[in-house]
Formats: sequence, structure tokens, C-alpha cells
Amino acid sequence: MPKLALFFFAVTLSANTSFTRDVLPILQRNCVGCHGNAQQMSGFSLSKRESAIRGGSQGAAIVPGKSGESALIRRVTGVLQPSMPVGGKLSDMEIATLKKWIDEGAPWEGTVTAAPPAQTSRKITDADRNWWAFRKPVHQAPPAVSDPRWKRNAVDAFIFAKLQERELQPVARADKATLVRRAYLDLTGLPPTAEQASAFVNDTSPEAFTKLVDRLLASPHYGERWGRHWLDVARYADSGGYEQDFTYPNAWRYRDYVIRSFNQDKPYDRFVREQVAGDELENPDYDALTGTGFHRVGSTVGFREKDNPQYRFIYLDDLIGTTTRAFLGMTVSCARCHDHKFDPISQMDYYRLMAVFYPYVNYDHPLAPAAQVAEYESKKSGLEARIAPLQVKVRELEAPYRKLAFEQKLATFPADIQAAVRTPEEKRTEGQKLLATQVLSIRPNNHRSLMKPEDRAALDALNSQIRELQKQMPKPLPVAMGVRDGDYRLAPLGPGDDEAPGKGNKEDSDEEINDTYVPVTGKPYKPPKAYFLERGDYLSRGPEMQPGFLEIVGDLGVPGAIAPSDGRITTGRRRALAEWIASPTNPLTARVMVNRIWQHHFGRGLVMTSSNFGRLGRRPSHPELLDWLALEFIRSGWSMKHMHRVIMNSETYQLASQYSSASVLESDKDNIYLSRYPQRRLEGESIRDAILAVSGKLNPQPGGPAYFPPVAERVRKSVAKGIWQVNEEGPDVWRRGVYSYFKRGMKYPMFEVFDQPDPNVTCESRSTSTVPTQALTLLNNEFVVQQARYFAERVMQLAGPEQEAQVRTAYRIALSREPSVAELTSNVTFLNRQRTAHSQAQAPGLEALADLCDVLINLNEFLYIN
Amino acid sequence: MKQLRFPTMSRRELLFSAGGGLGGVALASLLSQNNLLGAPTEGGTCAAGTRKPGLMAARKPHFAPKAKSVISLFMTGGVSHIDTFDPKPSLRKYHGQPLSGFGNIVVRQGYPGPIMGSPYTFRKYGQAGTEVSELFPHMGSIIDEVALIRSGYGISNDHVLAHYEWNTGSLLMGHPSVGSWVTYGLGSENQNLPAYVVVYDPRGGPNAGVSNWNNGFLPAATQGTVFRPSGDPILDLRPPAGIAPEQQRARLDHLAKLNEEHAAHYPGSGELAARIASYELAYSMQACAPEAVNLNEESPATHKLYGLDDPVTEPFGRQCLLARRLVERGVRFIQLFNGAKARTDIDDWDAHSNLADNHGAHAREIDKPISGLIRDLKQRGLLDETLVMWHSEFGRMPISQKGLGRDHNPGAMSFWMAGAGIRGGQVIGATDEFGYKATEQPVSYHDVHATILHLLGMDHKRLTYYFNGRQMRLTDVHGELIPQLTS
Repeated sequence: MPKLALFFFAVTLSANTSFTRDVLPILQRNCVGCHGNAQQMSGFSLSKRESAIRGGSQGAAIVPGKSGESALIRRVTGVLQPSMPVGGKLSDMEIATLKKWIDEGAPWEGTVTAAPPAQTSRKITDADRNWWAFRKPVHQAPPAVSDPRWKRNAVDAFIFAKLQERELQPVARADKATLVRRAYLDLTGLPPTAEQASAFVNDTSPEAFTKLVDRLLASPHYGERWGRHWLDVARYADSGGYEQDFTYPNAWRYRDYVIRSFNQDKPYDRFVREQVAGDELENPDYDALTGTGFHRVGSTVGFREKDNPQYRFIYLDDLIGTTTRAFLGMTVSCARCHDHKFDPISQMDYYRLMAVFYPYVNYDHPLAPAAQVAEYESKKSGLEARIAPLQVKVRELEAPYRKLAFEQKLATFPADIQAAVRTPEEKRTEGQKLLATQVLSIRPNNHRSLMKPEDRAALDALNSQIRELQKQMPKPLPVAMGVRDGDYRLAPLGPGDDEAPGKGNKEDSDEEINDTYVPVTGKPYKPPKAYFLERGDYLSRGPEMQPGFLEIVGDLGVPGAIAPSDGRITTGRRRALAEWIASPTNPLTARVMVNRIWQHHFGRGLVMTSSNFGRLGRRPSHPELLDWLALEFIRSGWSMKHMHRVIMNSETYQLASQYSSASVLESDKDNIYLSRYPQRRLEGESIRDAILAVSGKLNPQPGGPAYFPPVAERVRKSVAKGIWQVNEEGPDVWRRGVYSYFKRGMKYPMFEVFDQPDPNVTCESRSTSTVPTQALTLLNNEFVVQQARYFAERVMQLAGPEQEAQVRTAYRIALSREPSVAELTSNVTFLNRQRTAHSQAQAPGLEALADLCDVLINLNEFLYIN
Repeated sequence: MKQLRFPTMSRRELLFSAGGGLGGVALASLLSQNNLLGAPTEGGTCAAGTRKPGLMAARKPHFAPKAKSVISLFMTGGVSHIDTFDPKPSLRKYHGQPLSGFGNIVVRQGYPGPIMGSPYTFRKYGQAGTEVSELFPHMGSIIDEVALIRSGYGISNDHVLAHYEWNTGSLLMGHPSVGSWVTYGLGSENQNLPAYVVVYDPRGGPNAGVSNWNNGFLPAATQGTVFRPSGDPILDLRPPAGIAPEQQRARLDHLAKLNEEHAAHYPGSGELAARIASYELAYSMQACAPEAVNLNEESPATHKLYGLDDPVTEPFGRQCLLARRLVERGVRFIQLFNGAKARTDIDDWDAHSNLADNHGAHAREIDKPISGLIRDLKQRGLLDETLVMWHSEFGRMPISQKGLGRDHNPGAMSFWMAGAGIRGGQVIGATDEFGYKATEQPVSYHDVHATILHLLGMDHKRLTYYFNGRQMRLTDVHGELIPQLTS
């Protein structure tokens, strides 16, 4: 120890210690989290002098006047194990202070409550407050532009000013054939038909493109495309993942809700409220309840959850992480175990948010009028009451035979095991007791075959009575998987959960538990208490936490809880969070969403890291434009379709993607300043959709339960658990990719190879890899080859046997344009050559055309938005 | 390899920019290089080291590597360490008595039973006299080639979560696998084959399924590709029946021509050039992948060495022999699974109900093929540059389950590593008297992952990928090298 410190040390200790000044902070920082008001581990509490002296199950902790005999000192010095505090160590000076205080008689003042630890550890600085994302968007007039070409709207003014500043020369506008294809793929994920393309190309009115955009925004396919983008953010899938990978039978309702919301142009602030807290809104409609599926569609273990209380904290982390990344562009999950290392997000912020979510329970909201729900429930419980006594009779009848079956099974065990079981309980050795308990839990299932005929007949009769009653059960009501407030400790047993004694959520047994899983109107409801968790460890409780939001953003005038006025019982905490997020004064929300919209129009956001607006994210390339868009978004009533119109009607959006020389590429390599339109590959789902569109086989049926596209047996075999329904190719599965079953444990191979994101965490942007297995898929996959043939048959039917006409028709369908003269020639040459190669085939012309169609759907021009 | 910093490049460019791929290469020169790709089969162009403009070009490690490839032999279901590599005489001595002194014994299923002695005897093998159970006489005979670690441990006693731990370094679903990290860090030596190949048990996939070889947040190109040990190894490798090879070649030629015309409007675009090249690579792969799995090229002596002449050892023998052929061809990371999550307690190593039946059967399947693999790698001079690892997701309990079986035990497990310049014959770490917990030099999966990366020439703290606001690592914030294997 340096000399100076020693000196200081001596001076400090010379005076009498003050409990409040010297001792209290040590206890608060290190002890009362586990030994205080909130919890008393080992029955020991340091909140009052009496309890501190008395100690807990390990005996007296403090002997006033005798620090050497005090267990507290012996533990903090490591003399007594386990040493305290767990996972840490007091400094020599702290130990000396405690010793001196005890030797002075351990004087005490008042009641010790835990100090919120992190409040002192992460102070928000001016630099934090000045970080661009936390400053409110500022309205700036778009820069004045003299070039008439760039006077279309504010977007152009901001973009063009930056291009000029950088001395970058924008390319020309894209031709109309390119534009119509771009708009269709971008807004609907489907290429235009030949007729749709030519209608636009031939529309010479100045508003042609504006009208096109309006038409596409009105198409139901728009929601299928843009809803899919949101589903990436919502880490949507149709199964729970992990070992069992159980199907979420109603997840599709959330998926359809998202698609519907986009199609309806639901104001984004409403979209936020429904997903965060739809169940807590005033008089929630079915969509509001379904929106809460946002909290349910993440991955869950789904097995033995009650035996493993840590899972709930994994799910809470998923809720906090997904909600804050999706809506706020903040990586709050980083603050679970410690303050955020880069952003002004404290661990306290994290646990305040955890308190917001803490009362949530999984709940399947019935989508039916209350009267119908009541009728359903009463019918169901009436039948259950009739079934229960029959089941008792079944058990009575089976009992002797089950015993017999067990005896027969036992006889197959080695002698020492049989002996352990057969030894009377009181005479068993300790080892035999363990063995007997285990072996007695074996329940062989062959008892029925051992029954006397008359008993078996009686059993079968009982079982058939039960089955008859079960058949009368009312048809289950439609439900939306969602959440509401309740008491998770009363969750019904799930798969694998064991009622064995000594299991379950013991850690909460000292707290008041509600009577019911979900609150009943008129009865009191106590939300389960949320605690600060030291180092994120669910067993290391700190002080109880009250709900709150990110301190850096402030409360924005929103209280911590907003209970609905219609008498329903719920904490209203998520509602308050939703209002805080959806507030026009929240600096993050509007920016984050307009940035996502921009990202999907241009392949990347103005902020490239669209779910991270913090210090580890990228800064906006056009901050003024981002602010202008955010304010325009709010001004429009949070209309997403309005933002599409603003963006797409700009000159910027309508630039060509092509350029003349590599020097253009070099000058703005990553195209950050948008001197050209960024070409980008379609996602796997859209590639399959586009193939089906050109083959003419796309089944546009929207919504409903997911379909299972056919998957090779060898792929299904790699899946240990969960279903993959086996199907044949056909119209039932020739639906859009967004409706296909998204299984966490096994992705559809064609989507997987084209970078479908992992659905276990929110995805801000898909990666685009280029690997030979993608080529193999598009060359050899049976689905693709078959669709190419349908495409050829379609062309043949439309164009007839004449080869030039075939090429023209195929180009119009696949690429939305006319072939050039050179292309016409080379494709006809190809057709001729292939026709010769296929001369032995039944229809050489069709074979040749199938070859051409296969080539066209492998073209980069087909796979990219140009 | 330098750390890949996300903020300086878009993700789609990562693959190309990292390690001198295609980024920025002028299209004209690229296409002329592509012409080299025309004829894949003749003259051994499927062999390793064939230098081609790579989509996953080989990249330089951080420092000189000990190994170029990894073969992971993963026994799914949980191998009992105390019946295989970690003899515990006390188990017999105290057979039938409660296990005390360890506090509350946490079991996966039901209630804890009494101590159960191993039904197997152990014998000393090799110069060091390492004890190995009678289950593994063949592995005993190569014990001087391997470093045996008796002090492995994990966290979860759940099969699936424990697979995530050992194969991805995280308890949570969806993190990139070790093989994906290795592929991401080092790329591929052979553009005609995937860099990362998985061969699972013919009876079916292992516990945790595809998550074992998932790329998580890393680019899709780093995902493990499942090979079948016979027939067409890769999905969609060949055109469906009815499409002749000439027909396909003609399509490819025409496709290349049209794609090049299109690319001319985007001079210098690395991505378009890469996609054009990917078709030629796919075409090469069609020839090279079946060649790689064609075990008929191997001599009868080799077949015998791997146990292909015995129906019990044939399936895993084929997997092992295939692994050697893939190593020869420059495949970076190969994981073989023995055991399938098909019939509970039977098809994998999960010996809840009857240890002797279960482990007896699985041990016979793998013992000879694995010793054959090590011998073969050695005699071909490949062992020094290949890291071979034999492991499982956890060990099993010293106490019995219902008298005859053993429950899961993440507190202790045995595994071994061989090749990569590792000194064979050593035994690292130890468990307590009963094999309940690793006590001496406990080794976590993070430590193993750090060690694997180190042997491949990579610093686990520097191999990072930006995702969701953080520079992610295989070892998260953990991982210590195993000094006996890395110094």
C-alpha cells in the first residue's frame, strides 16, 4: 500500500466512526441486497441493529465490542467460509472501519435500506445528453437547390446538397422499365406482370409514377412485403426453438396482424402501443390483443419451465432487448449485468424496465365476445366435472394391475435392487431408500394386457364414456397468443413440469402470492415484485424496483403506470412504456422507424446500424434529412404509407442503379451519398415468390395458419424434435414465403441459403452472402426446375412456336422489359442449339424453352432490384 | 487476419473484403480468371489448395497455426466419463451407499440414487500407463497420441443447452457454432467443397439438431453443410433426373454470357462478379463433392483399418474415413456425430435406464473407427496439421438412476484432443474421488474454444464480429488457454 494511503488510513481511524457516514455506505453497497428488507438470505438481516446482532441461521453476526468474535468480520476477512460478500471483497480500509465500529460497540442509527447501487455508478453527462440520438429532432428547412431536377421534394434537396458538397455527380434517372420493376419488387416483393409493366411504360403522364406508387401501396401484397421486414425485427417464428421446438399454434395471427397493420396504414404510434401494451389500452379490440404477440413470438424453452426459474429472466431479457432495439434503437440488454459500457444506460434503467414487464404472463386472448367466452367456459367446466369421477374410477380399476405390472418389471432387476424395494421402508439402508424411491417411480404401461377380461371390458367402457364426453367439448374459441398482467408463479404446469416436492419457484415462497394466474375483477391483485439483480444473477437480489424508462430520455411527462379506466385489472406499466415510446417528444422513436423505412427502400438506413443509435452504432449519413423525415412522419400522423410516397416520389429514389465506369464506383464506394440507386439482391422469400410469379403458379391466398413447403426427407431427418408436415408440390404450397412455416430448429433450405436471419434475436438487417450452394439451389432444386418448366409452358402458350416471340414474351414476364436486338439474337441462337440437343425429346421446342426459362430465373438481373 | 470492424464496411461486402476476396477486382480480369474454372474434374483439380478467386478465400490467421483443420468427434447424449476414461475405484467400494459431502445433488430426472460402481474394468495403456476402460481397447491402443482431459465441465444438465454450450459457447439458442467461427476466421482452402462439413449418424440428427452447426449472426456462408457419407453428399448437388450434363453446361454458358452483359453496366461490382463466379464454383462442386465422398477409391486395407468390414463399426467407420478424405482436400472444420435423437436412451449415449447396454453398444460402434482415423492420419503425415477432438455434451453421474442407469452430470466429463502438435500421452486435470465434479484444473467449454482457435493460429479475443451493438466473440468474455496444449 502506498505511503500516502497509509497515512490517510491512520488519520481516518483516529476519530470515532460514524455509523451513517462510515458504516452505512459499506453495508448498503455490499450487504443489504441479500441481507436486508427485500430478502434475508440465511434468515439474516442487516436492516436493524437487533436483527444484525441476532444474526440468522448461522448464529450471531455481531458481538458489540468484540470484532474478533463477530461472524460478520470473520466472513468479510475470509476466516469463516463462505466469505462475504459473495463474488467480491471489501477493501482493507472498509474492513478496518467495520472492526473499529464493532469494537466501539456497534452504535446504530435508524433502519438500513438498500441504496440503489447503480444510481451512483452511472452519472449522465453533458456529452451523453448531446449525443445526436438523444437530442430532439430539429426542423431545418431543406437546403435551397437551383437545379430544377432536384426540386421535387425535401428528400432531394438534402441528398443533392450533400452530393454537391462532396462533388459527386449523380447518374441519370432510371428508365421506366427499370422503375416499374423496382417499385413493384420494393413495395410488394413481386415483379410486375408484363401488362402491368407496359401499362406504366406507356403512361406518359407526369403523375405516372405517383399513381403507380399509390396503386402498389393499396395492394394487399404491400403488407406481405413490408410486414416481413417488421417480422425480422420482431424475431418472429412459428415455433419456440430449443429442444422441443414446439409449434406456436397461433403465432400466425400475430404475423397476419402485422401484415394487416401495414396494409391499413395503421399509424405507427398505434402500432407501437398495440404491440407493447395492446391488452392495457382502453377497450382493446382484437388487433390490440393480437399485437401483444410481439412479446410471445421469441424463442422459449417450453419445457420444465417451472423447474427452471432462470428461464423467466431469459425471456424478460428478450422482451427488454427486443422492445428497446426495435422501437428505440438502443441496446439496453447490455446493461443487464453492469452499466452499459458505451451508452448512458445504467443497470438501474434495465431493472426499471424489467419492473415494467415483470407482471406479464403468457395469455391466449380469446377473440370472441365476452358472452361467448363465458358460455364456452361454462360448457367446458361442466363437462370436466362429469369426466373427473370417471377418471377416478379408471384409476381404481387399474390400481391392482398397475401394481402387478410393476412387480413383473421389478423381477427383471438385479437382486440387490429388488431387495432394496422389497425391504420394508423402515429397515432400508440410506442407499436402499434412494434406490427404492427411484425404482418405485417406474410406471410400466402394460397393465391393460394383464387385466381379467371383465375388468378390461369395464375399463374400456369407462374410457369410451370419457371419450364421448370429450367429444362434446365445445370447439375451442379462436385465441391470439399474447400477454397480460398476472402472477407467473401460478402458471399452469407445462410440458415436463414436475409437481414433485422440493421443485418449483421456491425463491418466491416468502412473498405474497395472488389467488389466480390472471387477476379477477373485484379481487385485489398484487403484481409480483421485481428486483434489481446484482450482476444479472437472478439469485442475487438487490432492492425492489419500481417501473421506469431510460433516464437519458427522461419521463416525457408520462407516469410510470397508466391503468385502464374501464375497470379491468392490470398494472398499466406496459401501457405507460408504450405511451412513452410512442410520444412525439421521444427523440428516438420516429427516427428509428423512418430510418427502417429508408433502409428497405435503399438497402441501408441513413443510420446504417438501424437498431443501434448508440455510440457503437454508425452516425447518420444525412442527419438533417433524418430529422426532417422523423418530423414529417409525426406530422403526417405517423403514416408509413406517407413516408413511402415522400421517399419514392423523390428524384433520389428514381436514379438509375447503372453507372458508366468503375471510377463512379470508386468515388462513392459504399454509395453512402446515393449518387446512384443501390442495386441489391432479393431475399430468399422474394426469390421464391418471384419465381412463382413468373411461372404463373403463385397462389395469392393471404393469411391463415402457416403452410409447410416440401422439404427433402434427409433435411427433415436432421431435426430431432417438432413437426414438419410432409407435403407435395402444388397450389397449396405455392403461396408467398411470408406464410410458410418458420421453424426455429430447421429453416426452409432455400430461404436459409439466401440468408434468412436467425429468428432468436431481433434482426435489423439481413446479410447478403454469395456462395455456391445458392447457385446449386437455383440450378438443381426440384421446385425451381419444375417452376422453370411451368414458366416455359406459359411462354409457349402465349407466344406460340416462333422463337423471337418466345424470347420477347419470356423477357417481358421475367425481366419486365423488351430484349435488345443483341439479346434477341443470342437467345434465339441458344434456343436453336438447345432444340438440336433435344432433338430426341418429345417436344424439343419446349425443352429448349425450358432451358432458356431456367437461365432467366438464374440471372442476376432477375435476382436483384436494379 | 485483422479484426473485421463492422462500421467500416457493409456486411454484404465482408466476405469479399476480408482477406483479399473479390472486392475491387476489375470485372474483366475476374472473368478471365473464371475461365480457369471451366474443367473441374480432370487432373486433380478437386484437390486442396487449388487457388481460385474465392468466395471464401483462405485467410491468414493471427499467428502461425499448429493445425489447419479440425475433426470433432461428437458423442451425442452424454458419455459417462467414469466408465470410460476416468476410473474411480471408490464407486465400487461405496456401491449402494448415498453420495454425501457434496450438498444437494442435482439430477435431471426424478430423484438421486445411491453410488453405482462401474460395470467395467480399467487397464493401463501406453507408455504413461493411462487407465482406460475395457469399453475402448482400440482407443486405449492410441492413448499415447492423445492428451486426455479429465476435468471438463459445463453448466447445463439439459442435452440441448449443453450442446449449445460445447458447440456454440452459449447456453442460448442461435449463437454461431465453433465451426462457423473457424470458417469466418480462416476461410476455405478448397473452393470446390464447403469449408465446414457435418456428418451426422445415419440413424438421425443429434440433440439440438442444426443449431450445432448454425451460423447464428455470422454470414450464411459460414454455416456447416451436412454431408451424407454416401451418394450425393450435398442438397441439390445434382440436377434432377431428366436434365443431362450437357444441357446443364449449355445453360451455364448461356447464363454466364447474359450475366456478363448485365454486369457490364455495373463496372467493378464485386458482388455481381462473385455471383457469376459462384455458378462455376457450384459446377465444380458437383464433381468434387461426390469424388470426396467416394470411399471406393480407398484400399481394402484402409477399409479394414476403419472397420468398414464389420456391420457394427461400418457406419461410424465411413464417417471417420470421409473425415480424413475431407481433411486431405482442405476442408477446414469437420464434425462427426455418433448417436441420434431418434429412440430415447437407445440411439444416443443417453444411458438413463441401462448404462451397460447403452454404452456397450455405442462404444463398439466408435472404438475401432476412431483408432483407425488417428493411425491413418498419422501414417499419412496429416495428424500434425489436424486437430482431432473426441467429446460429448456432459459426463454422467456417479450415482445410479433406477439401479442400472446414470443421469446427466455437467460437473465433470472426460474428452481428448490429438494432433496439432499436441504432446500425446498426457493426462490433464482430475475429478474428485467419485467423479462428481472437476476439481483439479477445471476446463470449461470457453477454455476449449479458446484453445481450438489458438491451435488454428487465432486469438479468441481478437476474432470478433459486430452484431447487435457489440463485438461478439466465440468465448464471450471468458476463455483461458489450456497451457499443456498451447505452450
